[in-house]
Amino acid sequence: MARPGDESVALMSDEHQAPPLAQRIRALADYFVGTDLLRLRIERENEEIELGRRHMHPDLVPEIPEDLAAHEAAAARLEPIKADLVGIFHLSRPSISAGDLLEGDRELAYVEALGIRNPVRSRGAGRVASIMAEDGRAVEYGQVLFEIDRG
Amino acid sequence: MRTVAIFSEADRESLHVRHADEGFCVGPGPVPRSYLNIPNIISTALVTGCDAIHPGYGFLAENARFGEICADHGLTFIGPKPAVIAAMGDKATAKRVMKEAGVATTPGTDILDSVEEAKRAAETVGYPVLLKATAGGGGKGMRVVERPEDMERAYTSATAEAEASFKDGRVYMEKLILHPRHIEVQVLGDEFGNVVSLGERDCSVQKPSHQKLIEESPAPHLPEKVRESLLEMAVRACRHVGYTNAGTLEFLVSGENVYFMEMNTRIQVEHPVTEMVYSVDLVKEQIRIAAGEALGYTQRDLQLRGHAIECRINAEDARNNFSPQAGTLTRVVFPGGPGVRVDTHVYSGTMVPPYYDSMIAKIVAFGASREAAIARMERALRETVIEGVNTTIDMCLEILATPQFREGRYDIGFLPEMLTAGAAT
Repeated sequence: MARPGDESVALMSDEHQAPPLAQRIRALADYFVGTDLLRLRIERENEEIELGRRHMHPDLVPEIPEDLAAHEAAAARLEPIKADLVGIFHLSRPSISAGDLLEGDRELAYVEALGIRNPVRSRGAGRVASIMAEDGRAVEYGQVLFEIDRG
Repeated sequence: MRTVAIFSEADRESLHVRHADEGFCVGPGPVPRSYLNIPNIISTALVTGCDAIHPGYGFLAENARFGEICADHGLTFIGPKPAVIAAMGDKATAKRVMKEAGVATTPGTDILDSVEEAKRAAETVGYPVLLKATAGGGGKGMRVVERPEDMERAYTSATAEAEASFKDGRVYMEKLILHPRHIEVQVLGDEFGNVVSLGERDCSVQKPSHQKLIEESPAPHLPEKVRESLLEMAVRACRHVGYTNAGTLEFLVSGENVYFMEMNTRIQVEHPVTEMVYSVDLVKEQIRIAAGEALGYTQRDLQLRGHAIECRINAEDARNNFSPQAGTLTRVVFPGGPGVRVDTHVYSGTMVPPYYDSMIAKIVAFGASREAAIARMERALRETVIEGVNTTIDMCLEILATPQFREGRYDIGFLPEMLTAGAAT
């Protein structure tokens, strides 16, 4: 009875008598390593076979372009700061610009609603990646006001 | 006129937002944080330069405090005066005011002190009567009493159950109205004391939860004498309280007896049937009245023409206690043609969120006669395609096909009985 100890080829059950079995597994394994699959399972009547591998063959790992990877990493570090109420957006003085470094938590702007000044804070250090709202204009709930690079 | 629509994060793609000149998000999906978020709603009106707020028919439409806050910020609330909303919103006050105006209310008593008092009162009110817990809800502490000899046992068990459920055993009595129809009267009043009625709507096709499903105007087989008395009472009541803007008085009608139930101090879901038979744009009238314009017409100028029916299309599983369905509408096709009106906020691809009322459309059909309106409604419902969620379309078609509906002889027990009979077979 074929009993492959190799983890990459696990035979779940076998009621058939070899010779065809070992050949079939060999053929299947050859086919399997040529694909980019991580796991292959076949169930048929009273026969089950499952092939798996721990690591992708280096030739088969899809390459991520470097600039895209960098862009994604940067996007992951960008934190949006959103308006939590409806009102008029005002940049606080001294006003910040895109690119400014924030050393800690500070007030960036305020949303004036029903005569009340509601501060918008940076909630920590970072770099101002962009100012998304216009000074003096109305903003809605959930509108992105700033993007802060926390990287 | 330019409009600003408010919406929640869950309704960003809703049709009402597309139809407005501007749209403003006022909060996340859950109602308390968006559609009941008074500061954000008022702030939206102010930053966009609105003159007035139309509250629609849900959420803040009957909130007197909201009306006052609008006024404090120089905004016109399109609806009645806050004091009138407050008075009519309290059932006990509304009933007292209606009595003063000479409007028939359900006969009943105040708190009963003893079984002897209950027996005496029932002779005056007339059997059958209903004992109700003053702290009540959900049928707890409620008993139907059909004969004097049953009063003692019913009174004892009702007070005991009320005491156990609410730690308040006090009960009062109301006349039990058998097989009532739900008939309501549409009114409009301006700031100059002019009040008109725009006929009645029969809203007796109600789910077991008492939510309306099909409404029509005029009410079928309503004796002319009863109709005249209803309309006259509604106008008298509105004059009595100085009612302005659009409102609806709801009545229970049993035979020739009418009993005032409550007043809705806002436009209602089913207002299109009235608009169709009176050729009046009620929302436009609301805005005109709020802007201080006079009605400009009298009762005699308002002529009823034809018949209109509305079916509420809800995202609900009608076969499973009308349980609400959330999901994406994969395909939506609405009916068209003469005499058919569709009010909706959805289209193919709309996501029906779990936060709100399950109504996704209202289909309204007009006809020269009731028969013509029914035929047109059946055609319109068959033309409608909504895929992705269960809807009430098939249930509405089933109702329209029953002899009771076709003959116009149904009361509020009709749909619950039809569902029970259907479940039994």
